[in-house]
Amino acid sequence: MSKEKIKKMRDIPFERLLASGTAMCAGCGALEALHQIYDILGKNTVFVNAAGCMTLLSVYPFTPFRGSWLYTSMASAPAAAQGIRDALDILIEKKRIKPKDNMQVVVLAGDGSSYGMGLSAASAAIERNLDFIYICYDNEGYGNTGQQYSDATPHAARTSTSKSLTGFQYYKKDIFAIWAAHKPAYAATIIGSDPLDLAKKVEKAKNMKGAKLILALSPCPTGWTFHSNETVKIGKLAVETGIWPLKEYADGKIVHTKIPRERKPVEEYLKIQGRFKHLFEPQRNDKLIAEIQNEVDKYWGHYNH
Amino acid sequence: MKRKLLTGNAAAAWGARLANVDYVPAFPITPQTEIIETLAGWFDEGALKGRFVTLDSEHSMVTAAASAAVTGVRVFSATSSQGLLYASEMLYAVSGYRVPWVLVNVSRGLSSPVTLEADHNDIFALRDSGFLQLHASTCQEALDMVLMAYQIAEDVRVRLPVIVNIDGFYLSFTREPVEIPDENKAREFIGEFDAHNISFRANVPLSHASAVLQGSIYSYFRYEHHLAAIQAISVFNESAEKFEKMFNRSYALIESYMADGADYVFIMIGSFATKAKEAVDMLREAGSLTGLLRLRMFRPFPEEEMKKLLKGKKAAAVIDQNLAPGKGGVIYTETAAALCNEKEAPFLISYIGGLGGRDITAEEFYEIEKEMRKAAETKKPPMARLLFSEAELEAVRKLQGIAGVEKKNEQRKN
Amino acid sequence: MYRIRLHGRGGQGIKTAGRILGEALFLEKYEVQDAPRYGAERRGAPIFSYVRAGKKPINERGIILHPGLVVVADETLIEIPAAGVFQGIAENTVFFICSNESSDFWRKRLGIDSQIITLSQSEEYDTALDFHYNSSVCVGAAGRLLGVISKESLKQAIEEELSVFEKTVIEKNIEISLKAYDELSSYEGIVKRGVGISADSYRRLNWVEPPFEGADISAPAIYDSGTSELALTGLWRTLRPVVNKELCALCWHLCGSFCPDSAIYLDEDGAPQIDYEHCKGCLICVMQCPRRAISVEAEHKKTKEAKGA
Repeated sequence: MSKEKIKKMRDIPFERLLASGTAMCAGCGALEALHQIYDILGKNTVFVNAAGCMTLLSVYPFTPFRGSWLYTSMASAPAAAQGIRDALDILIEKKRIKPKDNMQVVVLAGDGSSYGMGLSAASAAIERNLDFIYICYDNEGYGNTGQQYSDATPHAARTSTSKSLTGFQYYKKDIFAIWAAHKPAYAATIIGSDPLDLAKKVEKAKNMKGAKLILALSPCPTGWTFHSNETVKIGKLAVETGIWPLKEYADGKIVHTKIPRERKPVEEYLKIQGRFKHLFEPQRNDKLIAEIQNEVDKYWGHYNH
Repeated sequence: MKRKLLTGNAAAAWGARLANVDYVPAFPITPQTEIIETLAGWFDEGALKGRFVTLDSEHSMVTAAASAAVTGVRVFSATSSQGLLYASEMLYAVSGYRVPWVLVNVSRGLSSPVTLEADHNDIFALRDSGFLQLHASTCQEALDMVLMAYQIAEDVRVRLPVIVNIDGFYLSFTREPVEIPDENKAREFIGEFDAHNISFRANVPLSHASAVLQGSIYSYFRYEHHLAAIQAISVFNESAEKFEKMFNRSYALIESYMADGADYVFIMIGSFATKAKEAVDMLREAGSLTGLLRLRMFRPFPEEEMKKLLKGKKAAAVIDQNLAPGKGGVIYTETAAALCNEKEAPFLISYIGGLGGRDITAEEFYEIEKEMRKAAETKKPPMARLLFSEAELEAVRKLQGIAGVEKKNEQRKN
Repeated sequence: MYRIRLHGRGGQGIKTAGRILGEALFLEKYEVQDAPRYGAERRGAPIFSYVRAGKKPINERGIILHPGLVVVADETLIEIPAAGVFQGIAENTVFFICSNESSDFWRKRLGIDSQIITLSQSEEYDTALDFHYNSSVCVGAAGRLLGVISKESLKQAIEEELSVFEKTVIEKNIEISLKAYDELSSYEGIVKRGVGISADSYRRLNWVEPPFEGADISAPAIYDSGTSELALTGLWRTLRPVVNKELCALCWHLCGSFCPDSAIYLDEDGAPQIDYEHCKGCLICVMQCPRRAISVEAEHKKTKEAKGA
């Protein structure tokens, strides 16, 4: 019998373990995903936080956590996960703590850390098959410093360091493929606007041993420039346009968990975000829109859907 | 107890073994690597129980070490030079976790130009990191200081990590007779690890090292860290007393060699201080009242001790094996600051020597002694000086010739 | 020296308003210092900026503790102690509040004798972000109350500070600012220059040496859980979602899952309720409710009703 119990929305626990009162922006897509994830993982987790927006989840003496949390640095959160995991294992082996004192170790890192500075430490932890969950909240830029472009910024997006009429020149790094190339126990993409898909994947990860990697696209009202009430709408469009494929990697295979039957044109996703406004105003930039569409088409073409 | 020929690296590894460490996160770097190889072997053969793991960098290694300490195990690690600096962001960060663990640094000069040989710029670059610092001058001390470091770090009044420094090559790869304490006795000395209030456990919430966005509370945390570091002075003395009772070796914050009643003293740190001892013996034979003060602890800085030991001396020569560009020697600067309001303070003279493993010869100590005398007689201390001879400058010129320095300059003129 | 403190919410242009005032004073040949104050808080959270101006180089730094002019762009901040609107005010501190209420209303409400001047909120909205141009009203008003900024300098300062925006945006801001400037002509120059703290008649301090406390006490650790609930992020809100239980289909998993702030809970009927102490007013729940059972109300109206004003 499968260990997974979540089949439909009503199976998702409604714990609201992550306390309110954090300093995240109103409508934060990362916080939306995180509080859903926390409800599935439960409070016997220790979060290891890399520097990023989520640095400010806990500002002394306030913490939203019911379990544990440790602040580290931008580059080395997975190494802290290693230290904590090893220490808990040692303490259990030496019978200095009881198995019931054990905890799930979870890294919480943004795209700035995950796609860049923290990649070496993450790669090494995956390579060692460290028993941990890695969550990347990906808001496609250095959000906490005001949305400069990062390795996760998508093609043509305007950021505070790519302000020209063509936006960011390069393409988003495929961190999922990089993770999958390590052959981890599990990897998945999620989004807060699809709580059921998210819950199933996080539950699966929770029940596995080894390195489990979760990449959450996190619509960012502040950095992407849209009204805070559109976080979910934009998240859904990211999936429906095929820009954000919901998928998972296990046993050497990548499986899409949600395949948009008819993909909406990418411009439906682009045109409601300030960071892509220059593709439509004052003049429509068909070339750049087509480049973005082509990337998406090429991706799904590979999977023959 | 047994007496054996050990390198400084092996002695430091023995210190960790006798401390019964649970966890060693590691990363190789010359001239430290032998320490982690030795420990990895002991974990493999079961002499040590727990885990050894190689991380992807020193930055990660220090993160893993401190995180494990926060989870409640006894941790040891080792690094050197560029590795120490690569980890420096985390060294500053994790000292604020207020959990004890011990890191051995095998001192080696810093880039650029890259070098493999010893000086103290690496360890002094971390002088304000919030780690305590103990400096060994023999292989025996490398072992003993690691053991004492655990006791000091874990003392409830301190709860701070400690760096034990040993010099690359001059200690790391040099064998000397070392007394290895009996394992049970060592464990009795150190005791069981107690995580006190900081450890990650299910059903026990702990959010650690949160952001602080207000100057007052930040000031409080930082100042308490400082006050805890200051506590380490008396804790060291207590630990040393216990150590002497159990192992019959006596350690002071500042080793004073023939300095009592001396008119002139050398002030040093690390392994070259034994060379100064040798020079002191010869100077005494020649009738000079010269002694040596060697700092065993550098953080906290044993200021009161230093004032007391220097009181009434005619002149003191600080020989710094480090160089703060644009300022000079670090120990000189700190000693001068300690003395600035003292009435019977000696003339203080600054020497920079032993950079990148350069030797300091007996004759140089004798020359320094002469300069101290002259300073006391004329009441005019000389300018700071680099220990560097005419022959060395000539040798540099030769190398520059091969490197084509002159040729290049001629080309540029034409 | 003029000491001006501007209060608003993250995202309302308070930093820019301070810079425009600073620039305008600079154009009037003043020595100027302007700065925003950043904290952990984000869009919607109370923030402030400040401007100092004088005829001599300015040596004071940091937060203005004794303002001569306090400018409030968002009236909902006034009754939030954490916003610090009243910090360090004195008898001669002048208040400007961007509010549809009269100055008498606020004087009575706040029980203070200070000079309070109000002007209606801007009717212009930034459609992308749904906030009004109150900060432009504030800039124009402050300019007139200081009495040392000409219309021309004000206009030039706006052009300079908003130069990255489109022409229409700049023009709209100028128009709104100058309208406020004109309306307050009778108050020209009522803000007086302040003096520094006297060195011979100040209140003595009590310095203390912090006692040494071991890591058991002084480690930066939080041992309690969920303490962030003590931070009332509901104060960030300018619009509030209101659940209509009659329309609600009790599919709490939607609004509750989507709410980033865990600010939707279930009441005894299993119906979702908004935790107004923490709801930041993002309004995702309003957008996502399939039955449209959650509506929007303006926050300042709500607080006034609640307080029976």
